[in-house]
Amino acid sequence: MGKKIGVFVCHCGTNISATVDVEKVAEETKKNNPGVSYTTTYKYMCSDPGQKLLRDKIKEEGLTGVVIAACSPKMHEHTFRNAAIKSGLNPYHVEISNIREQCSWVHPDKPVGTEKSTDLVRMMTEKVRKDKSLKPIKVHVTKRALIIGGGIAGIQAALDIADGGHEVIMVEREASIGGHMAQLSETFPTLDCSQCIMTPKMVEAAQHDNITMHTWSEIESITGYLGNFDVKIRKKARSVDLDLCTGCSSCWQVCPCKKIKSEFDMGLANRTAIYIPFPQAIPSKPVIDRENCILFKDARKKNIKPNDSKVCRKCIDACPIAPVKAIDYNQEDEIIDVKVGAIIVATGFRELEDGLYGEYGGGKYEDVITGMQFERLASASGPTDGKIKRPSDGKEPEIVVFIQCVGSRDPSKGCSYCSKTCCMYTAKHTMLYKHKVHHGHAFVFYIDIRCAGKGYEEFSQRAIEEEGATYLRGRVSRVYKKGDKLIVLGADTLTGSVVEIEADMVVLASAMKAQDDAEQFAQKLSIQYDKDKFFSEMHPKLKPVESSSAGIFLAGTCQGPKDIPETVAQAGAAASKVLALLSSDELEREPVVARVDRQLPPVFSTCIGCFYCQKVCPYSAIESEDIKARDGSVIKTVARVNEGLCQGCGLCAATCRSKSIELDGFNDEQIYAEINAVEFN
Amino acid sequence: MAEETKFEPKIVAFLCNWCTYAGADLAGTGRNQYQANVRVIKLPCTGGIDPLFLIKAFERGADGILVSGCHPGDCHYNSGNYHARRRWNVFRPLLEFCGINPERIQFSWISAAEGGKWVETINGVVDTVRALGPFEGYQKINTIGPDASSESSQT
Amino acid sequence: MIEALRKKAEELLRSNTVDVIYGYGEGSTPERTRPVFITKPEDVNKLIWNKYCVYNLTTYLKRQESRKLGKPAIVVKGCDAKTIVVLIKESQIKREDVYILGVTCNGVGEPLATKCKACDVNTPRIYDDLIGEKIENKEIPFDERYAELDEYEKLSEKEKWDFWQKQFAKCIKCYACSSICPLCFCDRCIVDKNQPQWIDPSAHPRGNLSWNVTRAYHLAGRCINCEECQRVCPADIPLNLLNKKLAKETEKNFNYRSGYNIDDELAMATYKEDDNQDFIK
Repeated sequence: MGKKIGVFVCHCGTNISATVDVEKVAEETKKNNPGVSYTTTYKYMCSDPGQKLLRDKIKEEGLTGVVIAACSPKMHEHTFRNAAIKSGLNPYHVEISNIREQCSWVHPDKPVGTEKSTDLVRMMTEKVRKDKSLKPIKVHVTKRALIIGGGIAGIQAALDIADGGHEVIMVEREASIGGHMAQLSETFPTLDCSQCIMTPKMVEAAQHDNITMHTWSEIESITGYLGNFDVKIRKKARSVDLDLCTGCSSCWQVCPCKKIKSEFDMGLANRTAIYIPFPQAIPSKPVIDRENCILFKDARKKNIKPNDSKVCRKCIDACPIAPVKAIDYNQEDEIIDVKVGAIIVATGFRELEDGLYGEYGGGKYEDVITGMQFERLASASGPTDGKIKRPSDGKEPEIVVFIQCVGSRDPSKGCSYCSKTCCMYTAKHTMLYKHKVHHGHAFVFYIDIRCAGKGYEEFSQRAIEEEGATYLRGRVSRVYKKGDKLIVLGADTLTGSVVEIEADMVVLASAMKAQDDAEQFAQKLSIQYDKDKFFSEMHPKLKPVESSSAGIFLAGTCQGPKDIPETVAQAGAAASKVLALLSSDELEREPVVARVDRQLPPVFSTCIGCFYCQKVCPYSAIESEDIKARDGSVIKTVARVNEGLCQGCGLCAATCRSKSIELDGFNDEQIYAEINAVEFN
Repeated sequence: MAEETKFEPKIVAFLCNWCTYAGADLAGTGRNQYQANVRVIKLPCTGGIDPLFLIKAFERGADGILVSGCHPGDCHYNSGNYHARRRWNVFRPLLEFCGINPERIQFSWISAAEGGKWVETINGVVDTVRALGPFEGYQKINTIGPDASSESSQT
Repeated sequence: MIEALRKKAEELLRSNTVDVIYGYGEGSTPERTRPVFITKPEDVNKLIWNKYCVYNLTTYLKRQESRKLGKPAIVVKGCDAKTIVVLIKESQIKREDVYILGVTCNGVGEPLATKCKACDVNTPRIYDDLIGEKIENKEIPFDERYAELDEYEKLSEKEKWDFWQKQFAKCIKCYACSSICPLCFCDRCIVDKNQPQWIDPSAHPRGNLSWNVTRAYHLAGRCINCEECQRVCPADIPLNLLNKKLAKETEKNFNYRSGYNIDDELAMATYKEDDNQDFIK
């Protein structure tokens, strides 16, 4: 039994009718297409009366399929499909023939436009004939969010979601939340102290009823899909019971291993083996560094349980908690399972390794330091209590050379991109330096000064004009040691001269890089990453916080270099997306998903289980399914599409040699009908 | 006006929804005129275009085909266009080996922002195929009966 | 060699390592061989091995009739062994479910089969047991391996079209090519799908072109060059030229050779960001 198809040709004022004879299109369509039982034209189909016309005619004429010949489907496909629903017609029997953008607006010759429009309408009519009713896919939503990363991005997003009334699970792989922002001294362009604005947020997050925090923990695996993710979290053995420990500091005060480079202080200070990363850490409870603790070293050597080692038990002896001590040498990793509806990835960045720039003495000379190291030097809570002292001899440096674009914009070192923050933080560094060393002189080598942002340009100008930093446009070719000075050889391209500066300290504005394990992590989440291993947003302009996988959002520098305000804004945006998602019990998705055919026995499915579809699917949406006989034996293993994960690209369908998998909304018969209707005269 | 005898090539274009289809829309919004020889078939992604679609289009009388989608790295589905590119890397030489002029099947990356490139590309395809002339070989095998098949080798 | 083969086969059957041996047996004349399926140890003397063992027994791995006989040991030449690699990669068989009796081979056919002319798998690259003296596999340059294509690639567009139209005109759509092909294992071939009917099933030039092009394309990145399709074609269509052309493009563009390395990702199920795109505008 054929469909009763109605064709509505829109004039779009004169946008269409000026160059397409809409009456003729309607007439020809009716005449030449059996099954088209009703055609009409209308001034504005998208207007209220236009939509009413559609609704009425579907009912009056008993239409079971509709073609609207009008503007691009991107404009009003949704409008007309919704109108159809109101008349009781499944919306997937409505198709748009694009005779405005792709015809009337681009072909001024009326007979030509009319002929093409007629063709386009016929093609859609044929497609509609094969359209099937589709039901929106409903997905249950677990009202809980996972935030991966406890830096400023993660904390901001967590707070926003938690304040919105939803549970948040936060996972941070370090022993404390805080991330890079906790390490910074002062922040541009206001020069307010980073910790003063960061620490209260950390405390707020930690104390929030809706936030559960897992520090010293990593994501083991993530499966599932939008609204229903199953997450395994590995809580790494901390060797300290967080419930028992009060953070009294007795243990780390007695620890004999005092020569371990502090990661938080960027190696400029030492820490103990049982330690908290920094005084304001949250949780303010220690962790044992098992690599460096002599007890664990001994246990590894002797292949005994750590608690059986007798080498050093100073921390556990010093622990005042009784009867059970808060320290547990034998603690093991624990895997916990959580279900969440949405995920925000806020895993941050790492600084370019300084050893990569041998020509600048990076990693070779103690007094050649990175931007992050300078932050620690300038920080009031840093190893020098905020006094600028050079690492080698503690002397106050009188001449400091700042080199910008170290790594950034340098494809030969593997980063072709701009790290975006360095121009600003270098300007800030020169100011902090001048504020602390009044007689000192700061030189900056730069390629371009890129300070786009509110108050940014003024800030960098202040560094130059008011704070007296000397900016030299050019690159540094070499830094070498001469006595206790560092000779910086560079070019000043504005004067065309070679510059040689005897510096006391050199600060490299090192690039922001993606985390070392970003690639593996992205694969764990099935999200895309770019050539630099930063995670890719769904659309560079219109979907900047969505990852390529539905329900997974991005915040902060894991997506690309950015500064704090931008990070916070993105985190807020991601949080609002999550809040919108968690606000409903069920989600409705476009039912454009792939489907593997099922047949009667003995075939069951024409799928032969070669799993090419599984290999090409960008969303890991193809599973394997055993078709079993009554006795439980496997008759056949075939592919099955997980509707929740499928995004409807059709890659599987085009890869399948036997065409056993098809895409709803664009199935084989529909496409065939469309191509078949390309009846050129 | 065109004379009766003037050959107007028939082009079928398979476009992805997110980039090239939107690019063609943009050309419309900008009122950028181009030759009307093209009939567009929209699919979600170039990755969803089976070579059978192209064969079918030739069977339906197309003189030329354009397949166009998102630039590498821009695919809405992450990797659909990469897989499509692999496919065309083998399918195109196969057709060429069988004596089908590769200019009759063209490929392009046109983004949603490249209305101008859409106009250039489609005009380019139409002009190239117009110069090649009607795809007589295929039209012949479309129309002749089974027992007349041996004739095709004599032309 | 034959003795070693028979001895091994007997051992495998007696120890119940396998249920059946797929091997070559004597045909009606000395120049002909035929497949034998040995299930009893006492029958192993039916197994032979000689230069007339041209065909690829792995096609029986896809057939229900032979599958019913249980776990097989299969006699394969180096070229045939590549099929098993593909079958494993494409989830059609598990490695542990087939016992590979690799035979070393200096070429088959009288005159020598085309596929043997640039052979670089005299010793199979995958086997459980190797029968015969190991032959050092040669490295053969790319051009030499695809030399057979040269004279056809040189033809003009029209000559190519005419050549293939003439060839395809002979096609009677008997599907011997896909029946024999060990890698054409679909339950329902695309040509048998009738809703919609993408490929015209009648022996009409239009359907003949789409069938032959599609058959070859479906083997892109998969065909291991056993030439069985061409051997069985009753119309003598040089089908393997199409397969070989695709193998050449696959190797040239993706540096991939089907059946050579079990760890390689299937060429048509993966991609590289820097894949060739010089033909894309």
